[in-house]
Amino acid sequence: MSKTQIKEKEENETPMVKVYIMGSSHEVPASLTIMKAIEYAGFKIKRGAGCRAGFCGACATVYRKAGDYRIYAALACQTQVEDGMVLTQLPFVPAPKAKYDINKLSPTGNTILQFYPEVARCLSCNACSKVCPQDIHVMDYVQYSLQGQIKKAAEESFDCVQCGLCTIRCPAEIPQYHVATLVRRLHGKYEMKSPDTLEARVEEIEAGFYEEGFNELMKLSKDELRHKYFHERDFIDQKKA
Amino acid sequence: MVRYSYFPGCNLKTNAKGFEETAIAVSKKLSAELVEIPNWNCCGTVHTLSTDNMMRRIAPVRVLSRSRKHIDTLDEETPNEVVTLCSMCNSTLKIVNDEVKHDHDKLEKVNYQLEEDDEIYKEDMEVKHFLEILRDKIGFENIAKNVVNPLKGLKISPYYGCMLLHPDKAAIDDVEMPSVLEYLVESLGAEVVDSPFFKLCCGSYQIVDEDRIVDSQVTKIVEAARKRGANALVVACPLCAYNIDHQQKILKEKVPGKLPLPVFYFTQLMALALGVPLKLNHFEDHHINPKPLLKELGLSGGKK
Repeated sequence: MSKTQIKEKEENETPMVKVYIMGSSHEVPASLTIMKAIEYAGFKIKRGAGCRAGFCGACATVYRKAGDYRIYAALACQTQVEDGMVLTQLPFVPAPKAKYDINKLSPTGNTILQFYPEVARCLSCNACSKVCPQDIHVMDYVQYSLQGQIKKAAEESFDCVQCGLCTIRCPAEIPQYHVATLVRRLHGKYEMKSPDTLEARVEEIEAGFYEEGFNELMKLSKDELRHKYFHERDFIDQKKA
Repeated sequence: MVRYSYFPGCNLKTNAKGFEETAIAVSKKLSAELVEIPNWNCCGTVHTLSTDNMMRRIAPVRVLSRSRKHIDTLDEETPNEVVTLCSMCNSTLKIVNDEVKHDHDKLEKVNYQLEEDDEIYKEDMEVKHFLEILRDKIGFENIAKNVVNPLKGLKISPYYGCMLLHPDKAAIDDVEMPSVLEYLVESLGAEVVDSPFFKLCCGSYQIVDEDRIVDSQVTKIVEAARKRGANALVVACPLCAYNIDHQQKILKEKVPGKLPLPVFYFTQLMALALGVPLKLNHFEDHHINPKPLLKELGLSGGKK
């Protein structure tokens, strides 16, 4: 390799980093997110990619860095690659999910223990909070749930995207994010005031207010639908109306 | 007004709401307000006897650390003390605090887990039961001065249970001759009825699957108090309260005839005597309703 060749490379190409994807090494542009780096390396992500914008929680990823003993976790679509990263995806988390009829429960700690008795095993080690890519105080909301402080638990867990990383790390084997769903449902159903506007809208729907419009749409051909979608839909006009 | 960092424990938010709400109300009346730690976690429940199980010691040490941080948000005169109401929490926290203060290897291991959370424990806390605050900081004379409805006619048998007096490290009073509940009950204008079974085990967690053990213990405890003329019991532990209160209801159905004795938390008696609104007692959560007795003695009025 001559000197001129190296210079050309520096001028024309983005800086590259070396990452290890499930053990094999790949050179990827340093500006990519973990998710894009995996795809750049030639993998097709079938499961473990969703909104690609940090909202859906489908792309939990676990990694280590060169020369660092710690285990790190993040959302693959939100995290930039670093040189020496050892990566893997966590496309699915096996976690027990309780079945219940939300209309037949009470917003208490006992309800939580009935469906998720392992909550009482919490050791307060805080591994769940440390791993959370949303920076939620996961252990705190698990404790609030156990204490029957449903409102506090619902508010603390509100930003959860259900990536499941907490559940994988928990030494007490608690499915935290499912517990969080239960507390938010309990809070919504039994403790929050139901908004009047929502009730009015549900009544309208149930009374068949939108039925006619939907039926009209359903009768349209594909071309007519396409025309409506691209040419008749105008958000600005709708606002004025 | 001194404000204290207060650790509730899970029972105070579920089965023993009356205990917590009356405690906070009387603490304000006595200018020693209990202020809840905003982000407290489980005390660790039953203290593990295996000396190398450090995982089970993270929870209590984290409580001490978080309470210490909470104290920084309170007043200058707030002491470095975390105040508990539940005897079990008090016992577990006291034992672990003592352990890590005397064994730096243990403390280091636990702190290593707390380091990343910026919650390292610096051995700068003491654990106090609210009864200790009442006895040592506020004083029974001071409590007596604040009584507006003396509890005349109530004949109270104090029941300590195990956790307030055992083990040594966690004891809040003399293990064979405790007196704190007796003095408190007297200062509220009620009569003290001594019972030899003041610390006979209530049956504890046997309630989960061997409730006949609890039945036999509760029968002994209650009968001993009744024979000596008591018309109610006073306790400091939500588990003792549950066992004695709930199992009396079951026993009443099995062995009809004897009237059960209502069970009060010490803070509920204080609330009655200091004129705190009656509803804070949450008597609806009791299995043996204390209201008929209070009505008979003309004590249910409180301050209307």
